[in-house]
Amino acid sequence: MKINPSFSEMIYSIRQKNLPERSYSKKVIYWVEDTRLRNEKGKAIVFILPTKGCSWASSKSGGCSICGYIYDNPIEPDYDAITDSLKTILQEKIEIDLAYSIKLFTSGSFLDKKELPLEIQKAILEEISNYQNVKEVVLESRPEYVTDQVLENIAGSIDITKVEIAIGLESANNMILKNSINKGFFWEDFKKAALRVFEAGGKVKAYLLFKPPFVSEYDSIIDVFKSVEKLAEIGVDTVSINSISIHRGTLLAQLFEKNQYRTPWIWSLVHLCKSIKQNFPKLRVICDIVSGGNDRGAHNCGSCDKPLLEKISHFSLSQDIEILSNLDECSCKKEWEGYLCAEKLTLNEVEKNLSSIKR
Amino acid sequence: MKLFQPLFQHGYARVLTETRTHSPLSPGLFSFNSSLPTSGFSGYFDLSVPTSILELSDSPTKLHLFFSEKNKTRVLFDSLFLSLEPFYPSFLPESISSSEFASYVEHFLSLSNLPQQIFTLPVTFLHSPLLSKILETDCSFIRLIGLPSLFHNQKLLSSTLSFLQTTLPPDIGLYLPGPIPPSFFSFLVYSGIDFFDNSISYFISKNGYFLTHNSIFPIDKHPQCYCPYCVGDSPDLFNHNNLVLQNSLSQIRFSLKEGTLRTLVEQNIHSSVTFAATLRYFDKTFSSEFRIRTPIILNSPVKCVGEESLHRPVIVEYRERVKERFSPKETARLVILLPCSAKKPYSFSRSHMLFKKAIREGSKGFHALLSELIITSPLSVVPRELEGIFPTKFYDIPVSGEWSSEEVELTADLLLEILEKYPEDTKIINHTHGKGYDDIVKIIEDKKDFEVFSTSNTSSPTSNSSLIQLKEAIKQALTSFDSLPKSKDSPLLNQLRATADYQFGLGIGKVLFPQNTKVRGKYPQNRQIFVSGELVATLLTSNGFLSLQPISAQKIADLTQNIIEFGAEKITGSTIFAPGCIRANEEIHPNDEVIVKYHDKVLATAIALVSGKDMNKMTSGQVAIVKKKVKVKK
Repeated sequence: MKINPSFSEMIYSIRQKNLPERSYSKKVIYWVEDTRLRNEKGKAIVFILPTKGCSWASSKSGGCSICGYIYDNPIEPDYDAITDSLKTILQEKIEIDLAYSIKLFTSGSFLDKKELPLEIQKAILEEISNYQNVKEVVLESRPEYVTDQVLENIAGSIDITKVEIAIGLESANNMILKNSINKGFFWEDFKKAALRVFEAGGKVKAYLLFKPPFVSEYDSIIDVFKSVEKLAEIGVDTVSINSISIHRGTLLAQLFEKNQYRTPWIWSLVHLCKSIKQNFPKLRVICDIVSGGNDRGAHNCGSCDKPLLEKISHFSLSQDIEILSNLDECSCKKEWEGYLCAEKLTLNEVEKNLSSIKR
Repeated sequence: MKLFQPLFQHGYARVLTETRTHSPLSPGLFSFNSSLPTSGFSGYFDLSVPTSILELSDSPTKLHLFFSEKNKTRVLFDSLFLSLEPFYPSFLPESISSSEFASYVEHFLSLSNLPQQIFTLPVTFLHSPLLSKILETDCSFIRLIGLPSLFHNQKLLSSTLSFLQTTLPPDIGLYLPGPIPPSFFSFLVYSGIDFFDNSISYFISKNGYFLTHNSIFPIDKHPQCYCPYCVGDSPDLFNHNNLVLQNSLSQIRFSLKEGTLRTLVEQNIHSSVTFAATLRYFDKTFSSEFRIRTPIILNSPVKCVGEESLHRPVIVEYRERVKERFSPKETARLVILLPCSAKKPYSFSRSHMLFKKAIREGSKGFHALLSELIITSPLSVVPRELEGIFPTKFYDIPVSGEWSSEEVELTADLLLEILEKYPEDTKIINHTHGKGYDDIVKIIEDKKDFEVFSTSNTSSPTSNSSLIQLKEAIKQALTSFDSLPKSKDSPLLNQLRATADYQFGLGIGKVLFPQNTKVRGKYPQNRQIFVSGELVATLLTSNGFLSLQPISAQKIADLTQNIIEFGAEKITGSTIFAPGCIRANEEIHPNDEVIVKYHDKVLATAIALVSGKDMNKMTSGQVAIVKKKVKVKK
């Protein structure tokens, strides 16, 4: 399987235009939030490490059609500053009587040696291993960096059974990876990496993207469903459904501005969480909604957005399916049903049609 | 065999029926929900969102069509499939590459059961040579993508719709998916779209729509509605909207059947500037293709209310036919120009009775020398002989006495063409009054050296003084023709001949109706026409046209264009099917009386269901209904 050259070229040209204008900070950003650990609720400390960013996004292939995180990464990283501030934050924030998950995000691949040299990876992980109440460590990476060498390095720094490698698979459908996302890898690459992690004793979390460009919402629901099925089959026990949000400087943002893309409905996410959990009760189903309730993120009509978003995040924490049952019906649920069908039947031209009606 | 059969065609609009049972399906509405009632919908898409992996399958999306219980068991198919998501996941309609389209076409052609498969056509690929490959198959249904993005571009919209309708055979169903306001329906049906869906009904949340037949309101601010869904404490906006869509289509189906769709379109067109402009483009640029698909043998009212009426296909067709096919009686030497009347046929109006009396008194025995032309808009000129046919007997206009410059120009043009048909020494009496008429006459006088004598320039044509002037002027004019032999005039024979010419071609009238033609029956009964004691035709009062007996068909079979060539020596049954129709003359309009021939032999007369052009494109289904067969001697 190869990438789609004309698609990748298009994305690259958008990248070229926007990269020079990036504004970034060299500070480690972090926050503490409630999270779902494998068997209990807990706290997560999420770190955004200012590395030089995703190798794929900065490559000649242009990166993913939907992702603009690269614009937040500095060109030259300061590794000492990264490790130092991480150390301080951990000391300050970790409370003895709580269970923690430490999430290390770089907006790229933590396991990429060129992004974070092996010794820095090691230093960070060893620091974390000092805290016994850290139950999980989540490291994000593209599958190509999940090598035996890197896994050995991890195993040498921390109890690898605590480590969860989070891979942004987005979809298990290679056509979507190729023609809507320009992901640069395919299902088979993911599967190989996941099995390698399992063999080393680690865990794998897969991110699935809800509603990539050019895929109707209806089809994306089905695609997520099918992807989950494939993931469960190979033993992935955590799935995070990431609802799309519009990043500036991306191909998706261009479509959005031309009325050729509507960000997902919250109803779809409710439906997905509920039915996936029903069908795969043992699977940890996380649904992360960035800029929910806004036009640029998952939203409904505006009246019911907030309570529904809360229910979804409660569900993600508790994994209790009851939370998503018996929801208050809003008139826009009907609209959602129609939208799903109309969007599918018009090949995503609904937004355009609607704007022409309003004239 | 195709799934659909057009049983009626009116321009690009048509009624599509299921091929075997003839259950009408279009113009129709699809729903997205199997639980909605079937009435008011033509079918539904099975697009429920899966809730379990068990429901996930790679089986295609189905479109179920609704048929009555009685027909259900007899239909060819009751569902269609959307087997391929053509460009999934891929670019938007406007950026689908030609290689993607090519590979979609290739995949589509490899599907089994093509008549049941829904083909997806992005308007950007309308001109792709690959489309012909699809049209060679029995593909019966097309989902049209990207049309709404042309709703702001009248030129492109009219050329796209026209190209589509002249390229596709009329038995392919065209479905325009997505939210379309009901006020657009009549125009879109008129331009050839057969199916819509109720997606716009779903937009009922705070940013949604409240629909009425001709308008669309924001949901928080709309007029009170008293439909059963709106009265009560909790209005059901979704079903209200559905009801509006269903009723809008019902009205369109009705006017299509009645032959008044164009009037409805002219009423609705003003809800969209682009559509109004597109209609004008249709009328001006694509008129002939449209006209050839428009029936001209009708008996429905032609209400000409707007500016668009001047270029209506039936009106333009009338003017063209008069220009090409009308020939004045040979004895005519004196043309009298008369104003029109509100009552039709004109002869039955008070004003024309007065004119007739004056003319009769003025012409005393020389009536054969007189020829009456009625000046009117939007038909321009109606020779007295043609006052009883469609559309002359059926049109209606708001009369203000004002003529637009376009009306003046069109009328003068046709009048000139007609006057050219008379002998050079013909005299003209103008018995009209008013500026518009004067302008027309002035053009006539300027362009040609016609000498026009006006008899009503000082007062109204029905005034005593004008009528006396008319009488005197006729007397005066006739004196110069003193040398001419007196000949008997037969207005009814003239009418028959002119009608036959209009219907079947110039010169046919004389062949069918010689001097010894006899007519039995009195208006308003149908009149039977005999030649040498044999019934040759019937003049139908309903539409003013002729219905031929086989003997007449044989007489004119080599002269008229209304010919279908049949593939066998004998017609069994009462229907001509597309495979039996070897070649149809491309001048045939739907509803025309046609002659069915096998080589040189006339087999029958028949009524065309679709235009000759479309008969030639169709590969299955009925193309004409047999009226009378030629009896074969044993």
